[in-house]
Amino acid sequence: MKRYITAILLSGIVALDSCSVLNPNVTEPGFLANPNAASSWVTGLRRQLALTMNQVVVSSELVSDNYYNNRTLSSKVFDIPQIDFIDLDVNNMQVHVQRLREMSEYGLEKVLPADPAATAADSAEVYFSCAFAHILSGELFVGLPGSNTGPVLSPDEHLRIAISQLDKAIALTKNITETGAYTLLKARAYYAMGDAVNAARFATAALSNNSLLRQVKYDGVNNVPNDMQTYIFSSTNNEFAPLPRLDFLDPKYFHTGLAANDQKPVTIVKAEEAWLILAETLIAAGKLTEGRNTLKELLALVSSRPVVMVDDKKETRNGGNRKDYPLTAVKVMFDATDSLRSNYVLDRQAGNVKVYTVSGTLVTVNDLDAAITEDQLLYILYRLRQEIFMAEGRRMTDLGIRFPVSQTEQLNNPNVKSEHIKAQLPSFIPLNRGMDDFTYDKANGVVTMKYDMNAVLVKNKHAKEIFPFIN
Amino acid sequence: MRKIYTGCIKPVKTLFSLKMRLAFFFAFLSTSMASATHIEGQTMEKIRVDINARNLPMKKVLQMVEQQSALTIGYDLSIIPADSKITYMASGKTVATVLKELLSAFPVDIVAVNDKYLLIQSNGQQQAVRITGRVTDNTTGEPLPGVSISIKGSSSGTQSDVDGRFSLGFPANKEEATLVVYFLGFKKKELLLKKANSSGLNIQLEEDRLGLDEVVVTGQGVDIAKRRLSSNIVSIGARDIADLPVSRLDQLLQSRLPNAQIKLTGGQAGATSLIRARGVNSAFVNSTPIIYVDGVRMDNLNTASALGGGSTQGAAISAIADIPMDNIDKIEYINGGAATTMYGSDAANGVIQIFTKKGGAGAASINAETQMGVETPTADFLRFKRTKELLMQNGFYQKHHLGINGGQDKFGYSFSGNYLNSQGTEIFNQNRNRKIDFSTGFRAGLGEKVTYESSFTFVNNKYKRNRNGNQGGYTGLWFTESGASAITGPKFNPDIDNLSDDDFQKMKTYVREAERLQDNDITVNRFQTSQSFKYRPLKNLVFKATGGIDYRVQKNQVITTNQYLSFTTGNPVKDQGSITNNDRKYLGITLELNGQHEWKTGQFSFVTTAGTQFFRNEDQQIAYNGANIRDGARNIKDAASKTSDEFYLEVVNYGIYLQENIGFKNKLFIDLGIRGDGNPAFGRNIGIQYYPKVGFSYVPSAEPWFAGMTRVISSAKIRGGYGIAGNLPTAFANERTIAFQGYNSDQAAFFGQPGNDNLKPEKTHTLEAGVDLGFIKDRLLVSAGYYNAKTHDALFYVPPTPSTGQSMSQLYNVGRILNRGWELSITAIPVETKNFSLRLNASLNTLYNNVESSGGVAPFNINGFSARTIQTVVQEGFPVGFLRGNVGVFGPDGVLQSTTAQQNLGTTIPDLFGSLGLNLRYKQFTFFANGDYQKGAYANSFDRQFRFNYGADNEGIPQAEIDKNKRTNWLNFTNMFTEKTDYIKIRLIGCTYTWKPAMFNRVVKSATVGFSAVNPLNFATSSFDPEATISGSAQGQGGATTGGISYATYSAPRQFLGTLRLNF
Repeated sequence: MKRYITAILLSGIVALDSCSVLNPNVTEPGFLANPNAASSWVTGLRRQLALTMNQVVVSSELVSDNYYNNRTLSSKVFDIPQIDFIDLDVNNMQVHVQRLREMSEYGLEKVLPADPAATAADSAEVYFSCAFAHILSGELFVGLPGSNTGPVLSPDEHLRIAISQLDKAIALTKNITETGAYTLLKARAYYAMGDAVNAARFATAALSNNSLLRQVKYDGVNNVPNDMQTYIFSSTNNEFAPLPRLDFLDPKYFHTGLAANDQKPVTIVKAEEAWLILAETLIAAGKLTEGRNTLKELLALVSSRPVVMVDDKKETRNGGNRKDYPLTAVKVMFDATDSLRSNYVLDRQAGNVKVYTVSGTLVTVNDLDAAITEDQLLYILYRLRQEIFMAEGRRMTDLGIRFPVSQTEQLNNPNVKSEHIKAQLPSFIPLNRGMDDFTYDKANGVVTMKYDMNAVLVKNKHAKEIFPFIN
Repeated sequence: MRKIYTGCIKPVKTLFSLKMRLAFFFAFLSTSMASATHIEGQTMEKIRVDINARNLPMKKVLQMVEQQSALTIGYDLSIIPADSKITYMASGKTVATVLKELLSAFPVDIVAVNDKYLLIQSNGQQQAVRITGRVTDNTTGEPLPGVSISIKGSSSGTQSDVDGRFSLGFPANKEEATLVVYFLGFKKKELLLKKANSSGLNIQLEEDRLGLDEVVVTGQGVDIAKRRLSSNIVSIGARDIADLPVSRLDQLLQSRLPNAQIKLTGGQAGATSLIRARGVNSAFVNSTPIIYVDGVRMDNLNTASALGGGSTQGAAISAIADIPMDNIDKIEYINGGAATTMYGSDAANGVIQIFTKKGGAGAASINAETQMGVETPTADFLRFKRTKELLMQNGFYQKHHLGINGGQDKFGYSFSGNYLNSQGTEIFNQNRNRKIDFSTGFRAGLGEKVTYESSFTFVNNKYKRNRNGNQGGYTGLWFTESGASAITGPKFNPDIDNLSDDDFQKMKTYVREAERLQDNDITVNRFQTSQSFKYRPLKNLVFKATGGIDYRVQKNQVITTNQYLSFTTGNPVKDQGSITNNDRKYLGITLELNGQHEWKTGQFSFVTTAGTQFFRNEDQQIAYNGANIRDGARNIKDAASKTSDEFYLEVVNYGIYLQENIGFKNKLFIDLGIRGDGNPAFGRNIGIQYYPKVGFSYVPSAEPWFAGMTRVISSAKIRGGYGIAGNLPTAFANERTIAFQGYNSDQAAFFGQPGNDNLKPEKTHTLEAGVDLGFIKDRLLVSAGYYNAKTHDALFYVPPTPSTGQSMSQLYNVGRILNRGWELSITAIPVETKNFSLRLNASLNTLYNNVESSGGVAPFNINGFSARTIQTVVQEGFPVGFLRGNVGVFGPDGVLQSTTAQQNLGTTIPDLFGSLGLNLRYKQFTFFANGDYQKGAYANSFDRQFRFNYGADNEGIPQAEIDKNKRTNWLNFTNMFTEKTDYIKIRLIGCTYTWKPAMFNRVVKSATVGFSAVNPLNFATSSFDPEATISGSAQGQGGATTGGISYATYSAPRQFLGTLRLNF
């Protein structure tokens, strides 16, 4: 019997030894205690910025008149536009904006102090990330908590925080390009707040570098693909289609070879914006000639940006919800009152098409010269903004549309009030997918947009949601 | 990083924590084993004596032994010189040793006639005596094969053969022995045999319909009679399942468990199932019970894997589909609740335990079975008649089985080999299934007191899968039934039935090629073994040690060729071919050690069970994918780009339990028990978790006064109990982590899991009571019960609040879920004669499920899509997984007037369900049928919603709405696509005929032919298959799911099978 007892005890000891488990995950204390936490965290912030921009670009381009969803993948209602606080996509956008902010704050509070190898450049980038999260919060939402389940801050409050964080970043960085980018972001924040003086001041400062370009990189191999690129080019079925009058600007992002290895960057800061801000301050102030000249400088810059020729023969706009997208080089009318225009819709089967990787526009110097009144210049300015920022997630803000605080936040954050859970949708925004609607007269080869939203904007220029320098 | 259970690093705590408890337990165990002799020992091997004899007569010395041991020693003076003087000294030696040493010079044997009396007799007087006889059914007179026959308190045993005959050696050195004859479904018999009259026994067994004396193991550690238990256990014997032509455990149990509902959520091989008994007690883990084979825990993942899964049934592969089941001796099932307390932290959903065959009767008996037939697609629920023609086919099905069983006395063996090959019901055999398995079982008595049992099984299962559900691009059912043909490939009019023959032919050509080009393979290799030792130092004390492993390796490979993509999309591509591989390796180790002691004093009897159980599961998943791969490649070696990912879970749980069952006069029993569990997945602030239970069982039919009532009520049992069982949190879910990923060649760090130091198992507290009654000589059996099960500290995956910046949902013990209901089952045997019997059974269960509290947590989706479409949601005040979506109201003009978001569209959990069965026997002919039903649940047809969207059908939406808004509002009236899913499904109709062929010189001892129809009839209120509702859980591995969304999923096929079984 002793044998059995011994065997049982031995097996018991073996069993006890098996009580430990191998946790494959890195715990928080383990991360902070090991060297070079700061550089990993800063890279993490860059990655998060890319993910945030994915969400911002895809959602806001659909909401705007730029693109519509031609299939069922991705949001099925933003095109209407219908922006419910219960919508998962509405939640996702703030999840990513908030994550960028929280990660920056965690970086400042925990990671940077714990890592002796952290540099001033690391700190600058963390401040910049935080500032950018606040800029997006201020531009895209009716209001958004500014801290972990904290009070809902107004857009202006977010923008002011952004400006102060950018100042800290500027103080820390020694990189001139970065300084320029941060300065232009300050101009963008002031622009959004309607502060023309400061906006002009920092836009001018940023123009010391007329080729300024700050982009967010993607990494298809590591599961950070450029989602907009997927939807407009890389996916087997192209889900998104541009409004036909913007067809010539599509695709901004594309791949050659293997999609995973070629994910194009998304621009978040470029010198064009400085010219646009300057021009708008001038036009709003009644200085139309200076404004027009500024826009001419802008056109010169745009034409200096790189252009590549891309094979886009596999583009089929008609796989999904609309089956009447023009596939040949037809003429367009911006709305029913417009005259016929050429070169806006491309025949992609005719050969490689021109792709504007940074900025592109069909606005010409002649168009500018023909614009006499403030409204005409404002119209061209907003058309330029639309074309230059195509697929960069900026158009929705120009249209005065803002996302609400999501239901998930509301249910877990008592600071969220009923006024925060309603989207801002200006009354002049047509519903029922009107912004994306067009008719195609196949016989005569003419595509007519239902609405020219730039004209609608100018017509409603005193609406409080738009034109920050006028209202 | 290596995580040691906190008990191992905190020394003071350790003293009082589990290790210490385990140490105490081992100490207790060994002490009780060592001291067993003093308590109960009455045998010469146990009793120790001190002898100090100097020159004393042998007679005197033997008297000294008698005095010290209280044994009587008899001997023949002619063989021992009783007066011869000897000198002998012994201290603390056993009686057996002393006698052996004393008598070493004489040619004698010492025989224990019984516990009190020893006999010294001359060598060779003993002859090997065999107990022989035949076991028959006392109603029909038919021989009973497979009856277990054993010698009480020893390791010796056998089984009756196909003629009911058996032969077993009479224990050497004994003059008397108790023969135990036991067969599931019959009353156990114990016969006291004398050596002289132990041959030619004619043993008639009486049917035990109420099963009061049935012996069960599950939930008890060691064998115990059902009458002592305060809860219900269902046992299914080999006889009951022999004629069932099923190949999966869950399918086998469908309609056979009166109080559980089992639904296969899709028709493809390896599809997941919903198994639930007492409602849905968790919003975090699915309701699949834990499954044991011979005491070893099986991998029972019944939802999507962490990698390569997805929310659709098309990707989720059930590990239950390949649990070996062709060598089953018995299955025991217990509902979750008080009965599963002994399984502790993860038994709230109940336990299924399978016991495999370990031997047969005497010389090897061989049985061969072959089953062949046709599988035909179930097209009842298809919207378009032509879908069947487009996608489906009739397939040939064959299954062959060879079993060998044999053994004698202390040795038994069993072998089973099976081959299954099914072409499947999808064209190009895209759902073919091939399974090969082998299993062996052994039983051996190692000496008189130790029994060793082992089983080994190997399964190889290989099957194809069709693209199914939401996989994107072309998928067969989405294309046809959801109307997506309108937007896919060359684009068709989606109203398939009204296509011109010409157009239909075009579509058919397209579909055939698209189906042909798919390549989705699943291979499973599974090895399982159980090793157990039973040590019986005394008649009333038994220790059992069981250990075993389940090792399951699954590979899912999806090859998407450029040809497939080019063809299905119509866009020629040359660099998008890909291969995705998802491997999942599961290793489960189970060790269990327990002891049971029975003690009777006066009117009382005590059964004490104590044990410890340890299990460790490793679940490693690896994805390795290749992109830009040339058509024809079958692995990723030549891919232009390769990516990989890994997932790892390690669950360790150890528990101890103690159980006391106190009986009074064999009619009143009190059942007490407690289990304590430790687990590294518990949060830092959480220690050992305890699960107590208390219950009673009262058998009034054992009362003298009951005799007067037996004409009407023949037997009765009243039972009730309260107990706690749990569900374990996911391993590592308590840790706050940082996650990493590569990002443009650098290491990117970001928030991982938020962590929870207070994470603990959710605990279901069940209060239950029931009565089991037998009327008119047990011809009518009624079992009725009520339970109230409340899950406290229910684990909810709380989605991150955006402003926290966290990305992952975190488990918190915040909810409270209530399930309650009545469980009623009736069995009637209106006729039972020698030649004819009819048996009917039916069950009815009610169920009320409600999330009583969500602890302030926002409603969350467990298995649906986005809030804009359709979700199955957990929300306070509603049942778990109710359907939530947009409710549209149409005006009098038929145009959509308003849409209200996030409305309750109905529960996915039925409030009434049960099963039905019939068994009719005429001589050797048997006819049987069974089915099940449910009422009160709803499901959404996403297929219908898509059909409307793509214009394949108006689906009852007013024409005015379509005229005005076209189909743009398709998501705004989801209520229009939600339907009631009441159904009755007949799962099986079959018949068998058994005879003893006179041919082949009686080589064939018996033969059976059978015919069966599987899934023959479906009656449902819904336009779609109420069962084929995605259950793969969006939440991830093992997550809660209630089904509820019908979306591009195949129904289980019909089978028409013939069987021939021969016993040699």
